[in-house]
Amino acid sequence: MTAGSLTAVIAVLLIGVLTCVAPALTRPTLQFGVRVPPQRTDAPVIRRERRAYYWRATAIAACCSAAALVLAGSGSARLTAVVLPAELAAGLSCFWVARERIAAAKHAEGWYAGLRQAVAADTSWRTEPPRFPVAWLIPPVAVLVATAVVGAVRYPDLPSRLAVGFTASGTPDRWVRKSAWGAFSKVAGQLWVTSLWTGLLLIIYRSRPDTDASEGADSTRRYRIFLATYSRALLALVTLVNVGLLLAALRDWQVYRLSGIGAALPVLPAAAGLVILVAAAVRTGQAGSRLPDPAARPGPVPHVNRDDDRFWKGGLIYINRDDPAIMVGSRFGIGWTPNLGNPRACLLYGGILAAIIALTVVRAVAGA
Amino acid sequence: MLLTVEPDGPVPIYQQIRDRIVEAIASGQQLAGSALPSTRQLAMDLGVNFHTVNKSYDILRQEGLVRINRKSGAVIRRDAGSGPPDTSWTRDWTGRLVTLLAEAAAQGMGPEQIAEHCRAAVTAFAFPRAAEDTRQESRP
Repeated sequence: MTAGSLTAVIAVLLIGVLTCVAPALTRPTLQFGVRVPPQRTDAPVIRRERRAYYWRATAIAACCSAAALVLAGSGSARLTAVVLPAELAAGLSCFWVARERIAAAKHAEGWYAGLRQAVAADTSWRTEPPRFPVAWLIPPVAVLVATAVVGAVRYPDLPSRLAVGFTASGTPDRWVRKSAWGAFSKVAGQLWVTSLWTGLLLIIYRSRPDTDASEGADSTRRYRIFLATYSRALLALVTLVNVGLLLAALRDWQVYRLSGIGAALPVLPAAAGLVILVAAAVRTGQAGSRLPDPAARPGPVPHVNRDDDRFWKGGLIYINRDDPAIMVGSRFGIGWTPNLGNPRACLLYGGILAAIIALTVVRAVAGA
Repeated sequence: MLLTVEPDGPVPIYQQIRDRIVEAIASGQQLAGSALPSTRQLAMDLGVNFHTVNKSYDILRQEGLVRINRKSGAVIRRDAGSGPPDTSWTRDWTGRLVTLLAEAAAQGMGPEQIAEHCRAAVTAFAFPRAAEDTRQESRP
């Protein structure tokens, strides 16, 4: 098993786990991308579809993981990576089947008939905004600087050809000509990962919280805990990804060479970071939906959250031209998603995509 | 302060935002001197157009409940402890109140029933003494 195929196996396992647990992370009033009123979260159709989804998703995850492990054993990282899109497509199909059936029942039975639908904003979110965890940026930046310094020290002594790919036995199998880009590509990767996630988190801290009209200020309190926990877990992941890139860079610069499973050492910190992220997600749930209830719950409220299904294409993509938000909470699973009806969000994500393409092209040219 | 508006309701959104802020001031949740979110922030949090919130703030400014300046943004100007309002404002408000009470009378409610509803609504407001208590509680 090479480091590349091990990475693909970890990705398949992770996507399998996330697909299985996603409904449990989502708010009870958002079932498979369908907005439902609090009174209907335990409807028979929802219970039935959740049970069916769990069975299907578990079977898909088990089959794909087994296939990935068998293919990884053959040593082909590319063949192993093919399993990933197949797993994603199968997971999405399960999601859409459940979504269609719940949405059909919702419309047929008129779940929102007679309910007062509203949107809510807690002004304390703006007058007492949450603080970005700046101290958590110190570790990833420190690892980045350390990598750059080691690289600068090693660069004059590096040979004219640099090994950047290794087989299971630790023997180099991919080379690039010695150049600043070739030698410092891992540092560029660290810079990219750190700046991308810092920028996205800064936008998320300025975005709106998921304030629920039926839960009131308590939903904002939960969102604050969720944001604090999840953003720290994300920055811990960025730190561990940078550590992995540091280890890969040290191998490229011939500081060490490991064979066998040891060759996959640079992948392990990122895998540990993903485990931390999943643990944080399971603890808080999307927008803090899994956090314990407050001791004193408010009495019955006159409103339910507005039925906004029409702005969610396929239950996953948010497009609302009248909404000035750039990022909003994801509808399924955990995290955030852009409002593609907002030109600024399109520019932001277009820029990220363009940067990824540019980095890939530069890497290919440097390695040619 | 929790601002709840019904985007698909019969009352325009700008009017609902204005009404919720007035109610928050009357109930003592927002005291004179406390800041409101900027128009852009509140528009983002409610998922509505920025001009909608701008219109609400402008009405509140015209009514003398909010002052707006470039540096500090929108700040509550008056609350239940700010003393009696202008005579002209009282005259306008009485006109609107008469119409509102007339609606109840036209629907067949008696004077006692109307007065009972008024009393129930007024008990939720923070009048000078209650507003002063809230101020003292918020002091360190």
